Amino acid sequence: MLLTWMIFIPLIGMILVLLIPRGQDNTARWITFAVTLIPLLIAVSLFINYDRGTAGIQQEFSVPWIESFGINYHVGLDGLSVTLILLTALLGPICIGASWKIEKGVKAYMALFLLLETGMIGFFCALDLFLFYVFFELTLLPMYFLIGIWGGPRREYAAIKFFLYTLFGSVLMLVAMIAVYLKSGDPGVRTFDIPELVKLAKTSGHALADPAFQKWAFLGFFIGFAVKVPIFPFHTWLPDAHVEAPTAISVILAAVLLKMGTYGLIRINVDMFPAGINYWSNGLAILAVINIIYGSFCALWQTDFKKLVAYSSIGHMGFVILGIAALNKPGITGAILQMFNHGVISGMLFLLVGVVYDRAHHRDIKGFGGLGAKMPIYMGITTLAFMASLGLPGLSGFVGEALSLLGAYYGSFDHSRLLTILSTIGIVIGAAYFLLTLQRVFLGPLNPKYEDIEEISPREIATLIPLGILTIILGVWPHFAIDMFDQNVDAIVKAVDATSKAVGILP
Amino acid sequence: MSVASLIFTILLCPLVASTLFGFSALLGKRLPRQDLISTAAILVALVCSLLLFGQILGNPALKQPGGIVDSMVIDWIAISDLEFKMGFLFDSVTGVMLIVVTLVSSLVHIFSMGYMHGDPYYPRFFAFLSLFSFSMLFLIVSDNLLGIYIGWELVGVCSYLLIGFWFEKESAADACKKAFLTTRVGDVGMFVGMMMLFAKFKTLVLYGEEGIFEAVSHLGSEDILWLSVAGCLIFCGAIGKSAQFPLHTWLPDAMEGPTPVSALIHAATMVAAGVYLTARMFPILTPGSSLFIAYIGGITAIFAATIAIVRWDIKRVLAYSTVSQLGYMMLAIGSGSYVAGLFHLTTHAFFKALLFLGSGSVIHALHVHHDDHSEHSIERDGIPPEQDMRNMGGLRRKLPITFWTMLIATLSISGVPFIFSGFWSKDAVLGSALGKAMSGGSIHYYLLFAIALIAAMITAFYMFRLIFLTFFGEPKNQEMYEHAHESPMSMAIPLIILAILSFPIVNKWSFEDLIMQPDQPHIHASTQQASALYAEAGASDHDTHIAGDHQGDIHHTAHNIAMVCSIIVATLGILLSWLLYARQPMTEDPVEKALGPFHTILWNKYYVDEFYNGVIVKRITLGLSNIFGWIDFRIVDGIVNVVAFINREIIAGIVGLFDMIVIDGIVVTVVGKGIRAIGVQIRRIQTGTVQNYLAVVLSGIIILVLLFLSLPRWIP
Repeated sequence: MLLTWMIFIPLIGMILVLLIPRGQDNTARWITFAVTLIPLLIAVSLFINYDRGTAGIQQEFSVPWIESFGINYHVGLDGLSVTLILLTALLGPICIGASWKIEKGVKAYMALFLLLETGMIGFFCALDLFLFYVFFELTLLPMYFLIGIWGGPRREYAAIKFFLYTLFGSVLMLVAMIAVYLKSGDPGVRTFDIPELVKLAKTSGHALADPAFQKWAFLGFFIGFAVKVPIFPFHTWLPDAHVEAPTAISVILAAVLLKMGTYGLIRINVDMFPAGINYWSNGLAILAVINIIYGSFCALWQTDFKKLVAYSSIGHMGFVILGIAALNKPGITGAILQMFNHGVISGMLFLLVGVVYDRAHHRDIKGFGGLGAKMPIYMGITTLAFMASLGLPGLSGFVGEALSLLGAYYGSFDHSRLLTILSTIGIVIGAAYFLLTLQRVFLGPLNPKYEDIEEISPREIATLIPLGILTIILGVWPHFAIDMFDQNVDAIVKAVDATSKAVGILP
Repeated sequence: MSVASLIFTILLCPLVASTLFGFSALLGKRLPRQDLISTAAILVALVCSLLLFGQILGNPALKQPGGIVDSMVIDWIAISDLEFKMGFLFDSVTGVMLIVVTLVSSLVHIFSMGYMHGDPYYPRFFAFLSLFSFSMLFLIVSDNLLGIYIGWELVGVCSYLLIGFWFEKESAADACKKAFLTTRVGDVGMFVGMMMLFAKFKTLVLYGEEGIFEAVSHLGSEDILWLSVAGCLIFCGAIGKSAQFPLHTWLPDAMEGPTPVSALIHAATMVAAGVYLTARMFPILTPGSSLFIAYIGGITAIFAATIAIVRWDIKRVLAYSTVSQLGYMMLAIGSGSYVAGLFHLTTHAFFKALLFLGSGSVIHALHVHHDDHSEHSIERDGIPPEQDMRNMGGLRRKLPITFWTMLIATLSISGVPFIFSGFWSKDAVLGSALGKAMSGGSIHYYLLFAIALIAAMITAFYMFRLIFLTFFGEPKNQEMYEHAHESPMSMAIPLIILAILSFPIVNKWSFEDLIMQPDQPHIHASTQQASALYAEAGASDHDTHIAGDHQGDIHHTAHNIAMVCSIIVATLGILLSWLLYARQPMTEDPVEKALGPFHTILWNKYYVDEFYNGVIVKRITLGLSNIFGWIDFRIVDGIVNVVAFINREIIAGIVGLFDMIVIDGIVVTVVGKGIRAIGVQIRRIQTGTVQNYLAVVLSGIIILVLLFLSLPRWIP
């Protein structure tokens, strides 16, 4: 029940916010902030009380929902989801803090944000494929409006692009989902239940375990998730959406929404289609390397601060995909770790871009210069975030990236060594664009236009500190996160190995 | 105290000192006297290092490579059965490195209290120094490659922060970026090497039962090529960090940082980390990778030395000299003499730190505040006037302590015989190359020995050129000369201490007694291909003992020859320098005339920077990013926009299609309606009518939520 409360408290909060009389913007802000603290508290307690010694599902709760189709309201946690729920819940209050200065339609903004939070948390908890899909779509709507109304000058274009892309992906996903449902058994015993389906898909002889079926079903889900991650060539919505979205929404987009794609890949594509992932891992690895190299070079080309961070996300999500494609323990562990770390770091990066945008009212990297003299604390935090993002050991970005690469080097896909070595180009280019940005924004003589620019405010520091601390903790002591999903990764890898032997796709 | 707790203290003190600064800065308050906190921390670390060194002297087991693993080992990352353990490695190499780092770092801290006095970011400087000390010490005491890599990258970022310390200067901002990126190229090579080793051995621990070195000794002969590649890749990290050719270009530019930083990081410690790493990896170096290392070292030694001849900037001369000397150390290790490499590292750390601090003292003395710049101190060739040797001369009368201490260091680096430490260590390096050649190693080592000898002569030449130009002759800039003053005691004392350390306190023989050389892989013996690479004069198993004695003789002879040669070349170099720079008042650079067009090449540093900037950075990297950026903007996104255009026109059609697919009607109710509602929205946005926007949005959402909540009751 705790999970259900966590999912629907933001929804209750939304109604509460809508009931606030007109003109009481500050009340709306404080109420929203308070509401987002509740899921955070629940998430922390779930995180602490999570039994790390088992791969089983915890906090499980299931009631029949639409019985005629075998659809249940089935929620539960495993190590992967509890980690991402913590990330989502943590970003709730942070984003509200970062949205404090929004003046246009505060009530509606806050209400939509809370709806979005319900969708995100629900997505990570859902253990019924139908419920999973509903929550997946539920995040789309508030996101669309949040970008389309509170965004920058080209907000309509960006919002529609985001919407259409995701719609395109989710249609294919829906088809695959229905196919899985129809294959799951005879009429009457068909099910949408994810753990049940995973079990069936690993039962040899069952229709779901048929490699030919898995190959195609995999592809349907994959495209749906690939748009979210985003994987080349489905990525061009991301830079536009990021550039136009308000700061807090960019944070959510980068930190959580992209993770929904990779979470789906692991939860469905890897776990439910072991034969499928074995078949497609070569292609997945190639796409990952393209993401890394292409994303990094594109980032180097950008002069818009936010676009640069957006493309860097594409590059960094490439390491997640590479780790997943490796299909071994270091690879998948690295991928999950990188998901969490990228959430934290990219959240910081977008918050930081927002700080300077609020002061200078532009994001042209070449238009700053020498800000370090006027904003030393801001420079310090930005340096920390950049260093974490470019994979400096001791900060969290390194661990995930290094494990993904180590795993990929002897991963299951073809030419694993060559592809992994190629992807290390991304590490150098990543350092290049971040250092170039650091130099252009902070170093050198002070641009006289910014003689009176204000230092970062305590409110803004407060939004950044929790993320900064997490970055350091996870960099120094990665067990903090790894312990959560170690058993799950073990189970996944074993299942994939067993299947690949059983169906003989791999030698 | 136990070894582990001493090492722990050594690491913790500087870490705490720098963390304190970070917290206080975040809270907007400054701790009083960050300089004292940092200096006290490093002095405690120095005392602990000395205590540890005492333990080595009393415990022969610690002199073995790998030493003892009486240390705290933790599972840093454990993924089921895969473990990345973090532990401390303590043997005599660690002990010596700890002393070098903490000692030089302490002296630099003290020196900086004088040198950096009055800087607006004075506390920040000391916090960075502490962070650097922590990272460097972490690198040294790590018992595994991952730990070394972590320290390795952390010292890199500290170097970045300190080179760019005066970040308002455009040149400093460029230099710090260049340093980080250039070394990162090498680091990626190192990381790939680590991946190779990890994929094969599933561990990155060096010594011990399950360590890499144990595993390497069991490799079959078919793995020799693989191991050579892995060794060369790991060495790539050292090429970057120790500024070896072809990744050397960042180090001279790093001189944009404050001079104490140049002394500590870019001369004595961090750049020597590459040598340390290569030495640590000694047990996996095959003959092939050894020769590669020796060549890189030899080429770097002569390459950088020739460039140093024509520099006018006192700090750049020293920077190229550092690059060149690091090449010597690599040459020694590549020649199979681990001890000689580490010995030269140690002596070099002291005399080069001294030279840099001495140059800092000169710069400090000549520094004219920017507001009273006169026409006498114009920048020439982009060199700051107080660093330009064309503005110096006769300073020995004004700066006696600086002069005498720098002279001692110069005598040491030039290899003046017997009473200076540099002579002994350089002789060890030269002797190891010649010994390797004479005892049946590859014929290449004769060539390397010759290269090293020539480089030694050039070293003596340009170092005395520096001394003559700076301290002898008549003052060339009267105004700056009159302004000059000897440095305060906080700067003079470190100079004197380092000068004492430039005498052979630890001589070669006691050093050889202290550090024992580990074995290299023996997998070569059985294959022909390998024996071609590594012809150890036919020493098969049964006559190893006899051959061993014989080799001892050869090495002894080689060292004697090397010693005589090195005395001759040093004398020649100094004499030539005296002839050209000390006797007549200089009107123009005599070398410029003598070298002709070659001078231009040297002045432009063989055009390596031009090549990197013009080809690698501009053409390849930025070119690729332009191409990718263009493709993304025009083609990938272009196609998307075309598709989107079509979609926009037929969006209602898509919604209809959607309905058809989801025949069940469930999804239609939940999602379809929402999408249709959005379709309406989209058209509104498109046509620009966004009045009553909020109301529509909110009612849409509420309808959706109500639908969602009431759905179970609707469907039987």
